[in-house]
Amino acid sequence: MSQATVTITLPRRGTALGIMQRYGVYIAIAALLIYNLIFTPNFFELDNFRTQFVQVVPVMIVALGMALVIGTEGIDLSVGAVMALAAAVIPLYIGYGLIPAAILAIVVGAVVGVINGSMVAFIGVQPIVATLSLMVAGRGIALLIANEQLRSVTDPGVLSLGRGSLFEGEAFRIPYAVIVAAVLVVIVALLVNRTTFGKQLIAIGGSRRAAELAGLPVKRILLLTYVLCAALAAIAGIIGTARLGASVPSTLGNLIELSAITAVVVGGTPLTGGQVKVGGTVAGALLLQFITATLVKHDVPDAYSQITQAVIILLAVYIQRGRAAVR
Amino acid sequence: MESPLTDDPPVLEARGVTKRFAGVTALDNVNFELRAGESLALMGENGAGKSTLIKVLTGVYQPDEGEIRLGGAVVTFARPLDAQKAGVSTIYQEVNLVPLMSVAQNIYIGREPRTRLGLIDFKRMYADARALLDTYGIDVDVRRPLRSLALGVQQMVALARAVSINAKVVIMDEPTSSLEAREVETLFSVIGLLRQQGIAIVYVSHRMDEIYRVCDRATVLRDGKVVHVGALDALPRMELVSLMLGRTIESSDRGGVTAFGSDNTSDAPPVLVAEDLSRRHQIDGIDITIKPGEVVGLGGLLGSGRSETLKAMAGVMQLDRGSVQIDGKTVRSGSVPAAIRAGIVMLPEDRKAEGIVPGLSVRDNIVLAALPRLSKAGFSSRRNQDAVVDVFMKRLHIKASGPDQIVSELSGGNQQKVMIARWLAMSPKVLLLDEPTRGIDVGAKAEVQALIDELAGEGLAIVLVSSEVEEVVEGSGRVIVLRDGEVETVLTGAQVDEEHLLAALAGDAGEAAEDPRTHDAQTDADAPTSVTDSRGERA
Amino acid sequence: MNTNRKVQSVTGAVAIFAALGLALTGCTNTGTSGSGSTGGSTDTAQTAQAASGPTCDLATYGGEKLDLKNAVVGFSQSEKEDNPFRIAETQSIKDEAAKIGVKKLITTNAQSTLSKQISDIQDMISQGAQALIVAPLNSDGLEPALSAAKAKKIPVITIDRKLSSGACDTYVSFLGSNFVEQGKRAADQLIKGTSGKGNIAILLGSSGNGVTTDRTKGFVDEIAAKGPDLKIVAQQTGDFARDKGQSVTEQLLQSNPDISVIYAENDEMGLGAQAAIIAAGKTPGKDIQIYSIDGTKNAVEQIVAGAYNGVIESNPRFGPLAFKTLQSFESGDKVGQDIIIEDSEYDPSNAKDKVDSAF
Repeated sequence: MSQATVTITLPRRGTALGIMQRYGVYIAIAALLIYNLIFTPNFFELDNFRTQFVQVVPVMIVALGMALVIGTEGIDLSVGAVMALAAAVIPLYIGYGLIPAAILAIVVGAVVGVINGSMVAFIGVQPIVATLSLMVAGRGIALLIANEQLRSVTDPGVLSLGRGSLFEGEAFRIPYAVIVAAVLVVIVALLVNRTTFGKQLIAIGGSRRAAELAGLPVKRILLLTYVLCAALAAIAGIIGTARLGASVPSTLGNLIELSAITAVVVGGTPLTGGQVKVGGTVAGALLLQFITATLVKHDVPDAYSQITQAVIILLAVYIQRGRAAVR
Repeated sequence: MESPLTDDPPVLEARGVTKRFAGVTALDNVNFELRAGESLALMGENGAGKSTLIKVLTGVYQPDEGEIRLGGAVVTFARPLDAQKAGVSTIYQEVNLVPLMSVAQNIYIGREPRTRLGLIDFKRMYADARALLDTYGIDVDVRRPLRSLALGVQQMVALARAVSINAKVVIMDEPTSSLEAREVETLFSVIGLLRQQGIAIVYVSHRMDEIYRVCDRATVLRDGKVVHVGALDALPRMELVSLMLGRTIESSDRGGVTAFGSDNTSDAPPVLVAEDLSRRHQIDGIDITIKPGEVVGLGGLLGSGRSETLKAMAGVMQLDRGSVQIDGKTVRSGSVPAAIRAGIVMLPEDRKAEGIVPGLSVRDNIVLAALPRLSKAGFSSRRNQDAVVDVFMKRLHIKASGPDQIVSELSGGNQQKVMIARWLAMSPKVLLLDEPTRGIDVGAKAEVQALIDELAGEGLAIVLVSSEVEEVVEGSGRVIVLRDGEVETVLTGAQVDEEHLLAALAGDAGEAAEDPRTHDAQTDADAPTSVTDSRGERA
Repeated sequence: MNTNRKVQSVTGAVAIFAALGLALTGCTNTGTSGSGSTGGSTDTAQTAQAASGPTCDLATYGGEKLDLKNAVVGFSQSEKEDNPFRIAETQSIKDEAAKIGVKKLITTNAQSTLSKQISDIQDMISQGAQALIVAPLNSDGLEPALSAAKAKKIPVITIDRKLSSGACDTYVSFLGSNFVEQGKRAADQLIKGTSGKGNIAILLGSSGNGVTTDRTKGFVDEIAAKGPDLKIVAQQTGDFARDKGQSVTEQLLQSNPDISVIYAENDEMGLGAQAAIIAAGKTPGKDIQIYSIDGTKNAVEQIVAGAYNGVIESNPRFGPLAFKTLQSFESGDKVGQDIIIEDSEYDPSNAKDKVDSAF
C-alpha cells in the first residue's frame, strides 16, 4: 500500500454512452419535440408551449429545492405536504392581499423546513425518516387548518398569479407563474454556483466528515438547505392554488415528491449527493412534462401511458446511473 | 518455536496459513498455536495481520493456504457460528449482544431452557443465568435489559455467554479499551477463572502493562508474518516493541533516510499551550507546548492516544477536561471552526474519508476551508480562488491536469498536497499532521517531508504523528511519547533517536530519559512542562 | 401538479420512495370524490327506486328481532373524510342515528386501509355492536370481518360500494347508486344539451376503480346508442382530482381545438376543466359545455352561474335509508338485497331551485 492509485474509468467523451450520459436529458427532450412536431397537431404553437411551461412550474420549483437537498445526500419527502400546507394557509389570510398571504404561506413552509432540517442536522435522523414523518403529518395539519374543506380563492391577485400574464393579450405574453419559476431558477443557479453556501452545501454532500473537519458550519448549512427546499415547495403550493383558483389541501401536491426526485435524478444530480445540476433539474422537469403532454395528446390509455413513462424514465435513470457511479 | 507446555496437541492451531486480499498478502505462511489453559498475547502494529488472523481462526475468512486445527483435528469454519459451536468464541470491543433483551436472554439466546409445553422457561433461565454469573463474581440483576448495564458488565455477560456455550478458546480483542479500572480488575480475575477451567485465551491489546500481567506467551506479527513466538518472561518490553515495529536497536542511528533537514527552534514564546487534555478512555492529562517553527513529534503505539490528542487540539473531539491556548487565548474546545479561527488546523489520518471531498475539483478542495475568506457578501469570487489555488499548486508542485481536475483522480501524494494546500490557505499557526505520508509513494513522501521542514522554517508550529519511527525521529526536534493515553516521556535534544523512542514506546521510560522535566529545555519555566504529574491525578 | 404522478413507480432508487409514497397516501382517490362545502343543512334524504329483485329477511340470514332504539350500531367508513362525499355520508349516518335515538353509535374510519377496516369491524363486534353499517373500501377482501359478524348473527348493511360476495349471506343488503345508470343519465343530459352534436373529451376517474368503469360504460354505451353525431375524441384520466382535470383538459384543448363538450366523472375534474377552458380563452358552458357526476355545491352553483351545463347526483346521504332498511329487517320484514337509490340531477332549468340540496 505504498502507492494509492485511484483508478477511475471515465466515460469516453466521444462514445455514444458518454454523450448520452452527459446530454441524455437534452437529447430526450429534443427527440420528443421532433416527434411531436411531426405527429402532434397544433404542438408547435406558442399557446401550447405556454401551457407546458405553466403546468411544469410547480414540479420545477419543488425540484429546485429537492436538488439542493439531494446535493447534501439528503431527500425531502415532505414537499407535497408543504404545498398542501401553503394551500391551506392562503385562504385564511387572503383578506390581507396576495403578498401578505403568500409570505405567511412561505413562513409556514419554512417552519416545516426548520423541523426537517433540525431533525437531520442536529438530532441526526436520517433524512428519509425525518421528512417522512412530516410528509404524513403535514398534510394532516393542512386538512385541519382547512377544516377538511375545499375553498375557492377569488382574490384577483391570486388569480392573476395563476392565470395572468405579462404583456397580456400579446402573442408573446408570459404567464406570471412562469416568470416566478424562471426567477427562482436563476436564484438557485446563482446560489449553487456562485455562493459560499452553494459550494459548502455540495462539499457536505460529497463528504460530510471532510466538510466537518474542514471547519464548515455543516449543521447550519443542512438546516438552511431544508428550509430553502420547504420554502420553495410552499411557493409551488401558492402557485398551484392560484392556478386552480381554489385551495385543495387534500390533493394538491400529492406524490409531487416523486416527480421532483425523478426530475432531479434524470437531470444528472446523483442521489449520492455532492453535485447539484440546476440546468439538468429544469430539463428533467420539462422532460417529464413533455412525456405527459405527448401521451395525453395522443390519447394513450392510462395503463399504457404509465408503462411508457416508466420505461422512458427507467432508461434515463439507467444512463444516469452510469454517470453517478463515475462522478 | 518455544517448547510446548504439555504434550497434548494444541487446542487451537494454524499451520502455514496464507491469506491474500486483491493481491495484498495479509497473512504469509503463519503458524500459530494455543494451548489449553494458557493466555497468549497476539501482538502487532496496525496492518500486521492480527485481525486477519483472528478472522481466519473464527471462520470470518477462509485461509487461501494452510489449515486450522482444533484439538489436533483439521477443521473448516464456514461461518463464525461454526467456530462458535466448535468452541472458539470471540469477545469484541463493541459487545455484539442484543441491547434491549435481558441479561439472561442474551446469555441463553437461541438455546433457552423450555418447559414441557415448549415455552421458554423463564424461571429456570433466570436461575441458571444467576448461577453462571455468580461463579465469576458478577453481581447483576439478570432480568434487566443489557443496555442498562455498564459496558464492562456487558462484556462480562458476553464472556459468561461464551463460556456457557462450552468455549474452549476465547479470543479477546481490546477487551479493556472501554472499561473502568475496577472493571478491568474483574475481567482479569474472570480470565484467571477461565484458565483454571482449561480455557485458552487469546489476548489482543496495545496496553503493554496488561499484556505482561495477563499473558504467558506472545506471538508477534509484522507485515503478515510471525516474527516471534515466545514466553513473555524472556522478552523485555523494549525488545517486544522493536519486534513489532521491525526496528532493531542497533539500526537506530542510521539517519538520513528521510527528507527531513535541520531542526528549527527559536526563543519565541510558545504559540500553542495545551494543558491536561483528557477524555474518558482515550486520553488522560496530556500537556503539550509548542513554539513557532518547532516540529514536535507525537510518538506512541497504536491506540496510545496520538490521533486523539491531535483531534482534541483541532476541536474534533469533545474534551472532558483541559484546555488549548493559542498565543495565550483559550480556544473553545470541541469546535472545529473555533480551532481553525484560532489557527489550529489538522490533516486527518484517513485522507480519503475525512480529508478530501472526492467528487470535487482540485480547486474546490483547496479553497474549501478558506471559502468565506475568499468571498464577498456570500458570493464566492472565482478570481480570489484562482489566485490562491495557483499559488499553492505551484508551490506544492501539485500534479494535476489543472485546477478543474477531480481530486479523486489524483495520486495519493498529490491528494495529500491538496489537503496541505487547503490548510496553508488558512494561514494557520499550528499544523497538526496525522500520518501525513501514509499511503503515498516514495517521491511524494520525500516532498511532503521536505515541505514540513520548510513550513517549520517559515515559523509554523507543527505536530507530527507518524507510525514510522524514523519519520518521527528525523522530522521532530522533540518527541512526546504517549502510552495508554498518557504522556510517557518527552524526548529532547540528543534523546531524539530511535533507541530512546523505542525504549519509551516499550514503557521503559527510566532507561532512556531520566527526568523529562530537565530535558524539556525549550519550554518556559512557567509553562506546564510536568508531564508526569498529571498521571498522579488518575483515579 | 400531479401530471407525472405515476411516472416514477418503476425507476431504480426512486421506486423505494414511490412505494413509500403510495403506501402512505394510500391512494385516497378511490371513491367518488367530491368537493365543496361540507354537508349542507338541507338534507335531501335518499329514496329507493321501486323495489324489485331478491329480498332478504331474518329467517334467511339468521338472527333475532331487535329494536334499534336499544341497540348498539357500528359504522365503518372506508376512506378519510377529506372530501365532501365522505363527510356528508358519515354525517348523514350520525344524524340519523341521533334522530331515531339508538343506544350507541360506534364510528370508525379505515383510512383507506383494508386491513384496518377488517380490524375496525372486528373491534366494533367485540364492543357489542348489534348491527353494522359498512362502507366497504373494496368489493373484495372483507370476508374475515363479515364472517365474524355472521357468526354472531349481526346484520350488515353495506353502502355506496357493492361487495362481490353474496347478499343475504355475507351481508344483508346493499344500498347504493347505480353508477352505470349515472353515466347513462349524464349522456342523456349531454345529448339534450348539445342537441346531439359535438366532440366529447372524457375525464376518467382513477384507473382500475369500479366507479370509473361503470360511469364510463354507461356513458359510452348511451352515446353510441343515441348520439350518432357525437364523437368521443379523447378519454384521459383525471384521477378524480381538480388539478389533474385541469392539466389534462389544457393539454387536450391545445391539441384538439374541436372539442366542444367535456364529460367529467366527478365534479372536481369538471371544475378543473372549467378553469382550463377559461385559461384557453373560451367560455365554459357555452363554447365548451361541461357535464359531470356528484352533485357538489361548487359544481351546481356553476350551473346557476351559467358556466356549467349539467350534474348527475350521486347521493351520499345514506343515513335515513340505511336505518330504515335495518329497522324493517330487524322487525322481521323482507328487505331488498340490492336497494338502488334514486339520484336526482341538476341542469340549468332546476339548478337555482335545487342548489341548496347539493352537498
